[in-house]
Amino acid sequence: MKRRNTFSINDNVDLLVEILGRLDGRSLGVAACVCKLWSSVCRRDSVWEALCNRHVAGGGGGPGTRSVVAALGGYRRLYRLCVGPVLDRLAGGPGRAGWAPTREEAAHLSLSLSLSLFSIDCYERLGGSRQRPASLLFLCKSVNVS
Amino acid sequence: MLSSGTGKMTAREEEQDGGVDELLAALGYKVRSSDMADVALKLEQLEMAMGSSAAQDDAFLSHLASDTVHYNPSDLSTWLESMLSELNTPPPPLPSASIPNHQSNHLDLPPVPAAAAPASMLDPAECSTVTTVDLPTPRRQSEYDLKSIPSAVTAGSGRIVYGPEPPVELNARDRKRMRTSSSSSSSSRGGIGVGVVGVGGMGPSMPSATEASSMVAGPAAGALPVVVVDSQEAGIRLVHTLMACAEAVQQENLKAADALVKQISVLAISQGGAMRKVAGYFAEALARRIYRVHPQQDCSLDSAFSDMLQMHFYESCPYLKFAHFTANQAILEAFAGCRRVHVIDFGMKQGMQWPALMQALALRPGGPPSFRLTGIGPPQPDNTDALQQVGWKLAQFADTIHVDFQYRGYVANSLADLEPCMLGAEGAAGGNNGGDEEPEAVAVNSVLELHRLLARPGALEKVLITVRAVRPRIVTVVEQEANHNAGSFLERFTEALHYYSTMFDSLEGGCTAAAAAAAEVTAGGGQQDRVMSEVYLGRQICNVVACEGAERTERHETLGQWLGRMTRSGFEPVHLGSNAFKQAGMLLALFAGGDGYRVEEKDGCLTLGWHTRPLIATSAWRVAGVGDALSAAR
Repeated sequence: MKRRNTFSINDNVDLLVEILGRLDGRSLGVAACVCKLWSSVCRRDSVWEALCNRHVAGGGGGPGTRSVVAALGGYRRLYRLCVGPVLDRLAGGPGRAGWAPTREEAAHLSLSLSLSLFSIDCYERLGGSRQRPASLLFLCKSVNVS
Repeated sequence: MLSSGTGKMTAREEEQDGGVDELLAALGYKVRSSDMADVALKLEQLEMAMGSSAAQDDAFLSHLASDTVHYNPSDLSTWLESMLSELNTPPPPLPSASIPNHQSNHLDLPPVPAAAAPASMLDPAECSTVTTVDLPTPRRQSEYDLKSIPSAVTAGSGRIVYGPEPPVELNARDRKRMRTSSSSSSSSRGGIGVGVVGVGGMGPSMPSATEASSMVAGPAAGALPVVVVDSQEAGIRLVHTLMACAEAVQQENLKAADALVKQISVLAISQGGAMRKVAGYFAEALARRIYRVHPQQDCSLDSAFSDMLQMHFYESCPYLKFAHFTANQAILEAFAGCRRVHVIDFGMKQGMQWPALMQALALRPGGPPSFRLTGIGPPQPDNTDALQQVGWKLAQFADTIHVDFQYRGYVANSLADLEPCMLGAEGAAGGNNGGDEEPEAVAVNSVLELHRLLARPGALEKVLITVRAVRPRIVTVVEQEANHNAGSFLERFTEALHYYSTMFDSLEGGCTAAAAAAAEVTAGGGQQDRVMSEVYLGRQICNVVACEGAERTERHETLGQWLGRMTRSGFEPVHLGSNAFKQAGMLLALFAGGDGYRVEEKDGCLTLGWHTRPLIATSAWRVAGVGDALSAAR
């Protein structure tokens, strides 16, 4: 017998956006591989913006911030290049900074630090860089090529 | 000749034969006492050579038996020589210390040694990777690795000179005895066995037991030593030699200094990693000083090259990033609420500090101010206007993030050439925008620039007067945290050795981890960054050690000294807030392998260091008693 109310998440994109907007970076990347719809949702900068601003007190600034970040390359790029690696690194050693931040403090600082690093990277890429911009190399993850 | 006899007879023998060793003479061998050590050495080599050619045993031995020409075997020296020349071992290349040595290279530098010559210590030693100094247990000689015989030894005995010493006995008991007794003596000791060159703490190819050969200490001995394997002992010896050489230079004893410099180079090979490089750079700088090589660095090619080097330094370790981030935080806080801001940068270089500040200004609540930047830079050799190019790039960036941006570049050989009217007058007077504009808030930023002014008397004072005349809200100063400017040459040398050893250690510690953490594609870049950073630091070392007078521009001073200078010139300190501290702390946490980095707060200033040693310090200042300064400046 055919059920009358079949619910498919793909029919409710708003709901999908809400749900995906609560994932962490890695899961978002995985979700982007599911289907075209999910991929397009995962490419929306607003999803990554929500991710970057998570736990940041005050929700991370308004439209002014958004336009600056968009000009620098967008939240998705910001997350990929800076916020993600920063959060990963900090997860490894909480006490290394010499002080114990609250979650909001840590989130706020990570974001502002990431924005600074992001802007340096953006600056390096300007003017037809002759060499690879290297200011973010120290954040690179290890790749096992053995 | 052959004699058996009582002690009385052998004593007579000795007189007759002129100093032949009596014990060996009793066995039928004629060896001069003065040749004893040499003979012992060759016996070792022979034993090794014969022992290790087990595969070719028969052929070898029969060859030895039949084809070789042997001199009178009772004349041990020449016989050994002929045997050894038959072996025809091709001299192996000196193994170089290319494998990173992860030892922490904290060497406690000794106080200035009373004797000019370093103590030589001769031990059979284990290669050890622990940082504590263990007295090693003596090992059997048969564990030598033939491959480790340095070419100097196999090529003949000419290059190894042993001092006039009583005959050395080969047993372990005596070695130990001699070791403890000679630790403070400055005379050389006869060497036992083969000097093996190698690297401490390396893998299986190294012999597990080695013996250090003697090192000729003392002035103008003119001998080239064959060196050491235990890197602990060698490290201490290296430091001793460096200090001795510096002292010789200070005493104008150039002959001794020359000999010691050569020893440093040889000793340095036995070290690994940071210590080797530091020793290399210091040796080069000492050599330049001794031989008076001028000019030290070609100044016309300097600026572009050193900019490039500094970029690599920027990327490979956190010091400059720390400097920029903390200074920017201070400037940002000082600019709170201002609608027009002006930053004067005393060392524009590539302008890497300013994108982050502009971004922070763009994101602040209330929107960005209009931002004016004045950059100072040295003249370029090839007439390219590097300052203008940087300005264009920054303007592009500012345009991207919608910050109103103005730029002005000034080329100046020295900061002392600047006048206040160049720096401040235009904007402050509001000439462009009418008289009722809010006066602009000025910040002056100097990252590693002020110390150069100390080379010329009065230059710093003039610059600080100019700075005060501009009426800045804040002056951010970043300088190396070291005293490389006061006292005698030897004191400066010692300070610099401490400082740069720590620096190189941090590069090593930070970069090996970072290289491991970087993707394979970028790993090459990481290595290149480190190498270039080392060159960058090496040039500073050269300047600190080899130059004098106006040429010596790397006149670093400590935070305390800068505090004194700034307060005497009419500035008062501004405490860097906890925001800057936290941001710096988080920045360091990002550096892989950055466990060694430490941020500390000291009198309101922030210092970044490696383990317990601060290496760079950021401080902020404002004009003391602002009201007074305003009226005085008019």
